[in-house]
Amino acid sequence: MSDFVYFFTFQDASIAFVVIGITLLGIGSAYVGTYSFLDKKALLGDAISHAVLPGICLGFMLAGEKNPIYIVTGAFLSGALATFLTSWLKSNTRLSDDAIIASILSIFFGFGVVLLTVIQKSGNPEMAGLNQFIFGNAIAILEEDLYIYGGLAILIIITLTAFRKEFSMLVFNADFGKSIGYPMGAIRLVFNVLMILAVVIGIQAIGVVLMAALLIAPGAAARFWTDKLGKLLLISGAFSAISGIIGTYVSFVIPQMPTGPWVVVCLSLFAFASFLFAPKKGVLSRYIARRYYLKKTHQDHLLKLIFHGLESGKKTFSIEEIYQSFPYKKGETKHTIDDLIKSDLLTQNQGLIDFTPKGKSEAKRIVRLHRLWELYLNEYMNIAPDHVHDSAEKLEHILTPELEALLESRLNYPKLDPHQEAIPRDNDEL
Amino acid sequence: MIINVDSPVLEIHDLTVSYDQSPVLWNVDLSLPPGKLIGILGPNGAGKSTLIKAIMSLVPVTGGYVKIFDRELNDVRSRISYVPQRESVDWNFPASVLDVVMMGTYGKIGLFRRPGKKEKKIAMDCLEKVGMQSFVDRQISELSGGQQQRVFIARALAQEADLYLMDEPFAGVDMATETAIFQLLQEMTAAGKTVIVVHHDIHSAMNYFDWIIMLNLHLVASGPKSEVVTEELLRKTYGGKLNLLTKVTDIIRQKDFNPLKN
Repeated sequence: MSDFVYFFTFQDASIAFVVIGITLLGIGSAYVGTYSFLDKKALLGDAISHAVLPGICLGFMLAGEKNPIYIVTGAFLSGALATFLTSWLKSNTRLSDDAIIASILSIFFGFGVVLLTVIQKSGNPEMAGLNQFIFGNAIAILEEDLYIYGGLAILIIITLTAFRKEFSMLVFNADFGKSIGYPMGAIRLVFNVLMILAVVIGIQAIGVVLMAALLIAPGAAARFWTDKLGKLLLISGAFSAISGIIGTYVSFVIPQMPTGPWVVVCLSLFAFASFLFAPKKGVLSRYIARRYYLKKTHQDHLLKLIFHGLESGKKTFSIEEIYQSFPYKKGETKHTIDDLIKSDLLTQNQGLIDFTPKGKSEAKRIVRLHRLWELYLNEYMNIAPDHVHDSAEKLEHILTPELEALLESRLNYPKLDPHQEAIPRDNDEL
Repeated sequence: MIINVDSPVLEIHDLTVSYDQSPVLWNVDLSLPPGKLIGILGPNGAGKSTLIKAIMSLVPVTGGYVKIFDRELNDVRSRISYVPQRESVDWNFPASVLDVVMMGTYGKIGLFRRPGKKEKKIAMDCLEKVGMQSFVDRQISELSGGQQQRVFIARALAQEADLYLMDEPFAGVDMATETAIFQLLQEMTAAGKTVIVVHHDIHSAMNYFDWIIMLNLHLVASGPKSEVVTEELLRKTYGGKLNLLTKVTDIIRQKDFNPLKN
């Protein structure tokens, strides 16, 4: 607990620095990643993040120590080479995208691991922290390194904000951009550079293996919550920053614990929670919507049952009769009757069920929609009267008042449906 | 039958286009008059979209050149509007109808600057012209095919161009919308603008277009509707099998290089 207070009150200036750094890099990479996710280029981020490893090792070998300038430059150059090779292979061979990306990713990463082993065998005393580049360790980052990573993150955020309209056009409709004379090739180039930079700034905090998750997962999770680009970028940035801070906290509390895996675990919780609980698109809300629809359908059917009884001259309806009309569904039916009484559509008196005026009008509306739709199918689509019932049974629950008005006027306010049953209206005698 | 005009709005000279190894357009050579509603007709795979893309320099040209308003494309871009095929973009992109229509003004405002009140006003006016003003804030993923098409046309109108190149703007559009859009295009040509439309339905083409280009890998005909639409030319465009031309294409594809490229 004292660790928690110590960490989040930022008494230690170096912790405050790390938190600011990880927040910036989280936002920056989520920002770039969201665009590449929308552009359906998620795998490219994965390839780049694995491909920076040989660059890191070469940078280390050249400098002979963990010099951030050498390492960042090396990482950037090898990421750029991987990106260039990917697009070169695409336009000059017949290989498919996934084959190209998979080859680039594994070849570069394999080469990087070879170099890493060479360094470890060399016995250079500076190599101690080099393993951090695989899974990341945010707490171990030095303050002067943070300036570089943070500065690059700010550069990414500013560029993406300034060129938001250009990057949106690149993703949505690059051909149109080209047709109005925008240099789409250059814009694509800038975007690729930003993408590589986003990977590079994360290598020490998150590590090359898991950096792709920080690019893609925030955007993918945020997509469940909104259809607006601005909000999408904000939400993904927040997911990413929070995950970054939590990962850093774990590394702080448990020494030697890598940051990257914890950031990814945290991000996947966000993604999973979004998948389950997001309004409209989440599994839970779709489940609730479906439950609500089924409940409404059962209510409609119950009202129809009583109305059909009235039509055939029946005067009273006992609850038991109604239960029998819906075999094996007694509990649900009881529930539905209670709901209908509560919403003032039915009344119950000594075991007898009757319509309220409102309930009768609602029942008429459902039967009317059912029969109007049957008539429409029969007259306009030439479907035989004995084939129209099933479709009407489903559509009676969803036709809107506007469509009802349209059906009425198209069919010229008909009196009878294809089975010669009266189409009920509110001022009828029944 | 290819009818050429003096001082054309668009001149295409011996244009040949290949994708990878296979030529998809052979030596197209034509000129078009201003202020007309022009239809490009031809069967599937005839190279109709390719022709428009080649005019806009969106595909590399193997041979020949294009002149618009007697100038190079880059000098007159602001006077040209291109409407891509509806299926060519991802309609799940998080954007509103207004966002997309506003893209029509991007050419004029240029890089860096954000669209402002003036651009929004233009976009709103154009949405009204296509009858979509009540959809301004709707997400584009929620639109029907016909509505998407109208959004694209509104975006083109927002470009305030003189020459319009539209790739299949009537694909997936119902009859009522088709008539409304054609009326709009006719108003535009009456105001002196030139509209070139890739179209698939020969019957409605007969009703609406002034000038017709018939294409089937090569140019079959280009001229006023009354002179070009003959049974013989239609048969050449749609019915006639181009056995020889496709065989030559096959030979070229199997070579290691494209002999048509210089």
